[in-house]
Amino acid sequence: MAERVFITGMGMVTAIGDNVAGNLERLRRKESGLGFTDYINTIYKEVLPVGEVKQDNAALFRMAGIPVQAGFSRTTLLGLVAMQEALQQAGISHLQDEPTGFINASTVGGMCDTEKVYFDLINPDKSGEFIQSIHTLDCADCTQRIADTVGFTEHLATISTACSSSANALMFGARMIKAGMYQRMVCGGTEALTRFTLNGFNSLKNVDRQFCRPFDQQRTGLNLGEGAAYLVLESESYAKANNSTILAELTGYCNTNEAFHPTSPSPEGDGAYAAMKNALAMSGRTLEEVQYINVHGTATLNNDISEGRALERLFGTAVPPFSSTKPFTGHTLAAAGAIEAIYAVLAIRNNIIFPNLNFSERMEELQIVPETELKEDVIINNVISNSFGFGGNNASLVISKYEG
Amino acid sequence: MEELKQKLKEQIIEALNLQDTKPADIDDNAPLFGEGLGLDSIDSLELMVLLERQYGIKVEDPREGRKILQSVQSMAEFIQSKQQPA
Amino acid sequence: MKVKCYIQGMAAISPQHTFDGDITTAPFVQTESNRLVCIEPDYKPFIPGNSLRRMTRVLRMGLTTALKCLANSGVATPGPIVTGTGKGSLQDTEKFIKEIEQYKETALNPTPFIQSTYNSVNGLIALQQNGTDYNNTFVHRGFSFENALVDSMMLLQEGASHTLTGSFEEMTEEHFYIKSRIGQWRTAPVGNTRLFEQHLPGTISGEGSAFFVLTAAQTPASKAAISGIKLLYKPSEERLSAVLQELGADADLVISGDNGDSNYARYYELLGEVLPKPAIPFKHLCGEYDTAGSFALWLAAALLDTGKIPGEWFPMVKELPGEFRKVVIYNHFFGEQHTVMVVEKVNG
Repeated sequence: MAERVFITGMGMVTAIGDNVAGNLERLRRKESGLGFTDYINTIYKEVLPVGEVKQDNAALFRMAGIPVQAGFSRTTLLGLVAMQEALQQAGISHLQDEPTGFINASTVGGMCDTEKVYFDLINPDKSGEFIQSIHTLDCADCTQRIADTVGFTEHLATISTACSSSANALMFGARMIKAGMYQRMVCGGTEALTRFTLNGFNSLKNVDRQFCRPFDQQRTGLNLGEGAAYLVLESESYAKANNSTILAELTGYCNTNEAFHPTSPSPEGDGAYAAMKNALAMSGRTLEEVQYINVHGTATLNNDISEGRALERLFGTAVPPFSSTKPFTGHTLAAAGAIEAIYAVLAIRNNIIFPNLNFSERMEELQIVPETELKEDVIINNVISNSFGFGGNNASLVISKYEG
Repeated sequence: MEELKQKLKEQIIEALNLQDTKPADIDDNAPLFGEGLGLDSIDSLELMVLLERQYGIKVEDPREGRKILQSVQSMAEFIQSKQQPA
Repeated sequence: MKVKCYIQGMAAISPQHTFDGDITTAPFVQTESNRLVCIEPDYKPFIPGNSLRRMTRVLRMGLTTALKCLANSGVATPGPIVTGTGKGSLQDTEKFIKEIEQYKETALNPTPFIQSTYNSVNGLIALQQNGTDYNNTFVHRGFSFENALVDSMMLLQEGASHTLTGSFEEMTEEHFYIKSRIGQWRTAPVGNTRLFEQHLPGTISGEGSAFFVLTAAQTPASKAAISGIKLLYKPSEERLSAVLQELGADADLVISGDNGDSNYARYYELLGEVLPKPAIPFKHLCGEYDTAGSFALWLAAALLDTGKIPGEWFPMVKELPGEFRKVVIYNHFFGEQHTVMVVEKVNG
């Protein structure tokens, strides 16, 4: 019998807070983190809203507890801030005490820094300290700098499946525990805003100039965001022997592919439907036992139709309360799966359902509407968290209350 | 108009790298998407970029884009309507 | 990880003649450049023209290798698709960075952005083969392909009958220059035949794509078995020695990732000390790149399958072993990610 996998630590930084408590506070107060960028050099500075982490890099260095130095991209720094909190919350002071793997997720690595020096990098007439950021070009760079700073020496991996990256990182880590390879894994993702991705999504014409409106008839696209989140996963036997504080259980997960289109989901949400259905089957929970769904809900025209249809197909007329938290954080791409997994844990532990901001009009294609108010004192035992992305990559997680 | 359509066809072939297609193969009124030339939604975004780069016309709403990009004829009519002095 | 799986079929595009034909008869491709470039096949038989027109080089290479691998393996559906790539489509990334600058962030074509996404090859394989199963992409330098392998072996253990597992990597002129700025390549042209004559700072760059259909059960068509894999991040010499000993003690052939780079030669010397066995290199065939380990696995399986080592491919090896049944591959990527794989003969 494979081990159960428990969540025993969490850390995060997003546009609505520098730590888990800060995020919960802002979610409760229904305060969005969307606004205009302070740090990206773009002509869309005052046109396209983003969910930017308020701290500049110097502040992030301080928060991460390391001296300012070259080669540490914003991606790395955001990751380090979230990582320090996750380890601290899990009560891990020495990673060496128990072999611990680290599975990270990133969509563009340190592009936030690379793009600023790229034309110098390819210009033989230019030289200087920027040469040290050559390695930030790839996705492993942030993973290894985080690992080296906090002391991971065991299994390392970086996953890049677009918007489902960190959900897949959590899944991979959980499977390594179930396979008996490790008793403890730290999984999640980090994403910094870049001119590259902002222009990329804008070239796809799916960025909203207003604050994003998931599942709303008038929605026109997403807002990008940045942030990082990591979760400490432990096997049941280790968590018990170690007397770890168990925050929740990762009871189910599934990764499917749409095989439909390079950037769009299928209109009937086939991949989303299969991912949710299989994840739920793995968790051993019934449809009726799901009290909340943290949807992917990017507010692009296609995602919300496809995801909404998948919800209606799976749950029929009894779709549980659902909301997208993207209007709080923006779409944080590689970090989104882990950020929202933490929100799922917060929902369970605090008996609350987060509101889907900016919703006013039901989509004509759907019968369902998202939860628009903060709901308190609701018993939440099981949450489905969805992350869907480019390349048809879908991932669903089922996070459950720990009940011994 | 004929000249514009001929030029458009050449530009479409180049922008979308339609290697085995010649301007004469594209019927003015044939649908560009689905059956016709077999283009998809990414091509439609690229054609909007073509309109912007070559003709200085910006199409913001993808839903509007779909109507404009139905055929070479509809594209040419749209370009002409934008170019005529008001 | 010590679960066994089997290579049902495979395919590789590389700087050698690996895509068509037989390793025992294909000529060895010599170059005088420090950049080994893939011999690309005709893609048209594999990819419909309407799809091909947009794809850049590494997407074509990756997709075609995957499709050829599936055809070679005789499986109807790809099953789970798991890949590794250190850099993804450099060409698209470079193009999009430049267009943002050139067009001042307006009127940008989305295609290079879409294709720069690391999982785009996976998406294309799934799209063309209707692969709706598990789909994952690892992007961690010298651990990219090997993580894909670990993931695949877990999937097989969890009950998948087979997986499609592979890698794809390209080098561009621009990126070659960028990496030359931190001394990754030899400064004087060395050519692949003379790579090991002298260990000097830097190596030669390479690229390639290799795909494998892996099965949980052995079949009459199985080409080789993968019986061990270990990833070590910046290991101490003691730890590395212990793992090499543990996985390689009873191997009768060593495939070494030596790339002639004196900066990190110490690890390959250690390999010779811990495992004093017949050994062959492979980087003179494919060059150095993040996922070169996948080429080594392809090579090991091809050698085990044919039972012969083509002497022409290894002019620098004085004495090639006659018989070998168990191969250990040791590789590292610029001293950081170290990997050990064990590959065994099956079917005879």
